[in-house]
Amino acid sequence: MNILQKSRAKSPWILHYDAGACNGCDIEILACLTPVYDIERFGMVNVGNPKHADVLLVTGTCNKRSARVLKNLYDQMPDPKVVVAVGACALSGGIFHECYNVLQGVDGTVPVDVYVPGCAPRPEAIMEGVMMALEKMNKR
Amino acid sequence: MSNLIYYVPLSIILVALILAPLVFAFVISIVRSDYLRSLIIIMIAAVLAISSLILFARVTITHQIIHYAPGLIDWNLLVTIADFGLMAMFIRMGVRRKSALILVFAVIQTIILAWVEFGPKHTEMAYPPIFIDWLSIVMTLIVSIVGSVVAIYSLPYMREHERHQNLTISKQPQFFRTLLLFLGAMNGMVLSGNLLWIYFFWEITTLCSFCLISHDETEESLRNATRALWMNMVGGVGFITGIALIQFNKLPMDASRLLELVRTGNEAHIIALLILPMACLCFAGFTKAAQMPFQSWLLGAMVAPTPVSALLHSSTMVKAGVYLIIRFAPIFRHTALSEMVAIVGAFSFITGAMLAIGQSNAKKVLAYSTISNLGLIIACAGLNTPLALAAAVMLIIFHAVSKGLLFMATGVVDQSIHSKDIEDMQGLWARMPLTSLIMVIGILSMLLPPFGVLIAKLAAIESSIQNPLVMVMLVIGSTLTVVFWTKWMGRMLATNPQADGRKRENLPALYAGTLAFLACGAVILSLFIKPILENLVLPAVANYYNVAGMEMTPTVLSAPWLMIFLVIALSVLAPTFFNHLRSSQIKPAYLCGEQISSRAATAQFLTVADGTAEMTVRSYYFEKVTDESFHVKWVTIVATLLIVILFGAVYLWK
Amino acid sequence: MEIINIFFVIVIAPVIGGLLFGLDRKLTARLQKRMGPPILQPFYDLFKLFGKGRIASNQFQLISVSVYIACTILSLILLATGQDLLVLLFVLALGHIMLILGGFSVRSPYSQIGSQREILQLMAYEPLLVFMVIGTYLKTGSFLVSNLMTGSYKPLLISLPAFLLTQIIVMAIKLHKSPFDISASHHAHQELVRGIYTEFSGAQLALIEMAHWYELILLMGFIALLWQTNLVIGGLIAFACFLAVILLDNISARLTWKWMIRFAWSFGVGISVANLAAIYILR
Ligand code: SF4
Repeated sequence: MNILQKSRAKSPWILHYDAGACNGCDIEILACLTPVYDIERFGMVNVGNPKHADVLLVTGTCNKRSARVLKNLYDQMPDPKVVVAVGACALSGGIFHECYNVLQGVDGTVPVDVYVPGCAPRPEAIMEGVMMALEKMNKR
Repeated sequence: MSNLIYYVPLSIILVALILAPLVFAFVISIVRSDYLRSLIIIMIAAVLAISSLILFARVTITHQIIHYAPGLIDWNLLVTIADFGLMAMFIRMGVRRKSALILVFAVIQTIILAWVEFGPKHTEMAYPPIFIDWLSIVMTLIVSIVGSVVAIYSLPYMREHERHQNLTISKQPQFFRTLLLFLGAMNGMVLSGNLLWIYFFWEITTLCSFCLISHDETEESLRNATRALWMNMVGGVGFITGIALIQFNKLPMDASRLLELVRTGNEAHIIALLILPMACLCFAGFTKAAQMPFQSWLLGAMVAPTPVSALLHSSTMVKAGVYLIIRFAPIFRHTALSEMVAIVGAFSFITGAMLAIGQSNAKKVLAYSTISNLGLIIACAGLNTPLALAAAVMLIIFHAVSKGLLFMATGVVDQSIHSKDIEDMQGLWARMPLTSLIMVIGILSMLLPPFGVLIAKLAAIESSIQNPLVMVMLVIGSTLTVVFWTKWMGRMLATNPQADGRKRENLPALYAGTLAFLACGAVILSLFIKPILENLVLPAVANYYNVAGMEMTPTVLSAPWLMIFLVIALSVLAPTFFNHLRSSQIKPAYLCGEQISSRAATAQFLTVADGTAEMTVRSYYFEKVTDESFHVKWVTIVATLLIVILFGAVYLWK
Repeated sequence: MEIINIFFVIVIAPVIGGLLFGLDRKLTARLQKRMGPPILQPFYDLFKLFGKGRIASNQFQLISVSVYIACTILSLILLATGQDLLVLLFVLALGHIMLILGGFSVRSPYSQIGSQREILQLMAYEPLLVFMVIGTYLKTGSFLVSNLMTGSYKPLLISLPAFLLTQIIVMAIKLHKSPFDISASHHAHQELVRGIYTEFSGAQLALIEMAHWYELILLMGFIALLWQTNLVIGGLIAFACFLAVILLDNISARLTWKWMIRFAWSFGVGISVANLAAIYILR
C-alpha cells in the first residue's frame, strides 16, 4: 500500500445525504460522531460539502426530486469517490417500497459501492461499511 | 544627450508647460471638428509630457534649483489684472447662481486682494517669480503626464457621453477648454514661487473645477458645483488672508525666500510671525484637498462626467491642496500647527475610510478613498520629518496614478453597463475581462505590497511613531481601507462558473491605450520605487531640511522588494498560464444539490413546485453601523472643532 | 546561515505545523472524552487531498491559492531571515486578501458569506499585529527582526506584556478557533458549510491547509519574538499560547462578527494602546 492509498484509507471525509429516510438511519449516523463511537479516530469527518467529500452516505430511498439532488451532489464530488447506501430504504425502498412516488433504492440514481442493511443499521455496521468502501476505492 | 537637454531654453519649456495649455484652451473652444480637437489634445498632451520630462532631466543633471524671471512683458502686472478679472467672474457667478455665500466670499477676497496689491508694500521680491525645485518637478510630472492621459481619455468618453444627451450643440469645446486651462493653471501653480502667483493659479483651478462640475448643467450638477465653488472660496479667503498677514508682518512674499529664511536662520521670531499666515494657508489646503469638514464638495463633484473626477482626484485640484501644505511644511516644523495639521489629516484618513465602507456607488467609494488618502498625505506633512515628507511625496505620485486609473476604468464600465453601482459590477471579470483586470490591478496598487502606495504608507506609519495619537489613527485607518477595497474586488470577481468562458472585450483604442498606460505605470513605478525615491523624492526632501540621504530613506525600502516582487509575480503567472482548467473540471457552485443541473451557467436552483429561482448574492455594507448621514454629522462637527482648535493652538503658541 | 534558515522554513516548518494541528485535534478529542485521530492525521488528510481529482469553479481560484501560499511562505522566510516586520505583515495580508478573493470568485452563497466574514476577521486582527510590531519598534528603534535578535535588549515580554494576550487573540482569530470561527470552522457548522473554503477542493484545499501550517509557525514565531533573548523559552511560551487557544476553542461557543470586532477593537486595541502609552510615558 503506497502512501497515497494509506492516506485515503485513513482520511475518509463523509457527505451525508438523506434522500427520504424516516430519520432512523440519520440518527444512527450522527451517533457515530458521538464520543461513544467517535468515528474521528479513523480520521472520518462529516464535511457536509460534496466538494470536500470522499464518501457519500445515503440514507432513505429516493423519490424523483431527491434523486436529482443526489445526482447533483454526486457530480460535484471529486474523484476518487465511493457511495455507501445505509439502511433498508436506501437499499431497496424498504418500507416505502410500494409507494407510488419512490424509486426503489438509490442505486438506480448513483452507483452504490457498499450496501449496509438494517432498519436502522447499527453504528458499527455503518462504520464497517465505510471501511469496506475505502478498501474498494483503493483496489480500483 | 545631456547637452541637448540643456540647449532647450528654459523659457520654451515654461511656455510649453504653462502658456501653451492656456493658449490652446482658447483655440480649442472655437474648434468644432472632432478630428481637429483630438489632434490638438493629443499634441498638447505630448508637448506637456515631453517638456515636463525635459525639465526633470535638466534639474536632475544640473542639480540646481531654478529661479527664473520671465521677460518680454510685466507679468506681475498681468497677474494682478487677471486676478481682479477672476474676482469679477466669481462675483458674476455668485449673482447668476443667486448664491449669497459665493458673493460674500468673493467680495471679501477682492477687498483683501486690493489691500495686498495697493496697500503698503514693505519688501522687494528677493527672487523672480518662477521657482522650480524637486517638489515642483514631481508635481509637474504628475500634472503633465497623468493629467494629459486623462485628457486623451476624455476624447472618446465625451463623445460617448454626449451621444446620450441629444444636445443640439456639442459642449465639448467648452469642456476641453476648461480641461486645458486646468492643466496650465496647475503647472503654473507648482512652478511659481511668488505667493501672489500661486494664489492666482489657485483661484483659476477653483474656477475650472466649478465649470467642470457644472458641465452637464443639470439641476444637481449646478447645485453641487455651487457648493464646490463656495467651499473653495472659503479656502481662497484663507489663502489671501495668509498672504495679507505675511505682507502685514513685513515678510517676503516668496516661497523660496521664506523657506530659505527658516532653513538658514531658523530664527524663532520669524517663525512666530509666520505661523498664523501658515495656518491660513494650511486651511486653504484643507478646503482644496477636501479634508473633513469640507469633504462634501468633492463628493458632490462626482455628478460630473467621469474624466472630470479622474482629473480632480488624481493629478489636479486636490493635489493642489496637499502641495500647498507640503510646500510650506518645513516652516512650521516643531510647532503646534504641525501637530494639529497631522491630527486633522489623520482624522480625515480614518473617517474617510470608515465612510467608504458603507457605500455601494463606485465613484463615492473612490471619492471617500481620495479624501482618506489625502488625509494621509496631510498627516505626513504635519508629522514634518524628512521621512514623513518623503512618504508624502511618494504617496502623491502613486496615488495620482492609481486613482486616475480607477476613475477612468469606472468610467469605461459605467458606459458599458450604465451603472456606477458596485453591486452591478458583479461578475464583471467574465463580462469585461480587460477592464476588470485593470481595475483589480488599480485596487491592488492602492492597497497591497509590492505596490508604491503601500510602501509609502508603511513609511508614513514608521514616521508617525513619534506622534502616538496619529500613529493609532493611521493603523486603524489602514485596516478600514482594506475592507472596502476587498469588498469591491470581490464583487467584480464573483462570477458564475461556466459562464461560457471569458469573453473577449472590445475596448476603443484610446480607452485601452490610456488604461493600459496607467496600469503599466502603476506596476512599473512600484517596481522602480528605489530609483524614483533616490532621484525624485529624496532630493525634494533633502532640499527642504538640509539632511543627508540616510535619515529619510524609509527602512521598509531595505526589505528585499525584488524578491517579493518576483515571488508574487511567479505565483500569479504560474497558475495563469501553466495550469489550465479543462471544462470537464469546472463544477458549479455548491447550492445544496438544488442547482438546476451540474452544467448550468446561471446560479439557478429549483424551489417549490419545480419553480426556478435565481440565486443572488451581494456585499455586506453594514448599513446599521455605517449609516452615512449619521456619521457625516458627527464627523463634520468634530472636524470643525479640530480646525478651531488648530487656530486656537496657533494663536496661543508663542 | 540564510540558506539554512530558508531551508528550515520551507521544509521543517510545515512538518512541525502539521504535527501541532494533529496535536490540536487529539487534544480537542480528549477534552471531549473521545479517542481522537492519530497525531499524523493532518498529513493523511493532506496527502489524500493532493491525490484527489481536480475540480474547481474558475481559473482565479487556482491563482488565489497559489498567491496565498506563496505569500505565507514568503512572510515566514522574511521572519526567519530577519527582515522588516511591517513589510512582513503586509505580505501576509496580501496572501490573505487573495484567499478572500478566491472565496469571492465563485458565486456561491456559502463562500460569499464566508469571504465577507473573513474580511471582518482580517479587520479584527490586523491592528493588533501592527501595534505589536510598533511596540517592538519603540523598544528597539527598528522594524528589523535581525536588529531585535542581535541587539542586547531585555526580553520584550517584560515591557510589552499586553501583546502576549493580543497575540493569543490573533492566533485564535487566524486559526478560526471559537469564539472567532465566524467565517469558517474546522467543525461542520452546517449553516455556512465550510464558509470561505467551501468551493475549494482537492489540491487547492491541500495547499490552503498547508498554508495554515506555515501560518501557525509564523504566529508562534511572532510570540517567540517576545522572548527574543532565548528562543527556546520563546518557543515554549508560543507553545503554551497555542495550548491556551485550543482550550479556548473547547470551552467557548462561536459568537457573532459584531462581538468579534467589538472585542478585538475594544479589549485588544485597548490593551495594546495602553501598553504603548506606558512605553511612551516611561521613555
Ligand atoms: S431503513 Fe429503517 S430506519 Fe432507515 S430510513 Fe428506512 S425505515 Fe427508517
